[in-house]
Amino acid sequence: MIGTIPLSEVLIVSGALFCIGLCGALLRRNAIQIFLSIELMMNSANLAILGYGASLGTREGQIVVFFVIAIAAAEAAVGLAIFVSLFRHTETIDVNRVNLLKW
Amino acid sequence: MDRLVFEVAAAIAIVFAALMVLSRNPVRSVLSLVVSFFALAGCYVLLFSPFIAVIQVIVYAGAILVLFLFVLMLLNVGPERPEKTGRPIQTLLSGIAIVLFAGFLLSTLRHSGSAVPRALAAEPNVLGKPDALARELFGGYLLHFEAVSVLLLAALVGAFVLARRDRGSRA
Repeated sequence: MIGTIPLSEVLIVSGALFCIGLCGALLRRNAIQIFLSIELMMNSANLAILGYGASLGTREGQIVVFFVIAIAAAEAAVGLAIFVSLFRHTETIDVNRVNLLKW
Repeated sequence: MDRLVFEVAAAIAIVFAALMVLSRNPVRSVLSLVVSFFALAGCYVLLFSPFIAVIQVIVYAGAILVLFLFVLMLLNVGPERPEKTGRPIQTLLSGIAIVLFAGFLLSTLRHSGSAVPRALAAEPNVLGKPDALARELFGGYLLHFEAVSVLLLAALVGAFVLARRDRGSRA
């Protein structure tokens, strides 16, 4: 229990968000929507980390999440720059039509 | 009370995350995710992490998703058109993901409260205090903090190089 919230509840929410993100990453074709789904999966992991941190009574969880958010910001910047560059070359960000590296 | 608020916030987060995945229009998708991240920030507050909740709102809902919207408007991509042939492999894999989640849900509910550590070593209200968090962050994690700042600089330069027009096509 974290205060009055059971840890199992936090983990269930985190798992649900992760699965929604996974389905989105698999089913969408727009590269930006796939990227958004990945962000959602990262957030679900953050939620699980914070839940465990609070349940163990340490601040380590918050520190890990702080670093994860900073790295997510860097990742989003680079990822979106890649999409802009991709769009300039191929005029699309539909992942089905970007198959240059596909065997 | 806390539990009820947490459940409501978590339900909002899950519903809007599902809307994000289901909508074909990318702009609508980003806006749903903003709502979902706000609700998640509410969950973080209830998990004694108010500082992380504020960072979530400022960095995620504020900066990162605005960057997404900005790129979407820059590229002007329309909504996805329905595909003629389905995506059998992907549908199968996401079905497996849902089944795994159902299994996880059942096992968590069965072991609810038994296998998880429930001791609260620190006082909950002390846990999320920003000054204590900062002392820990700049104490034992100073090197990591500096490494992250170098990483952000590298990402900045990398994004600039990637998104820049090629020299040949400028003229």
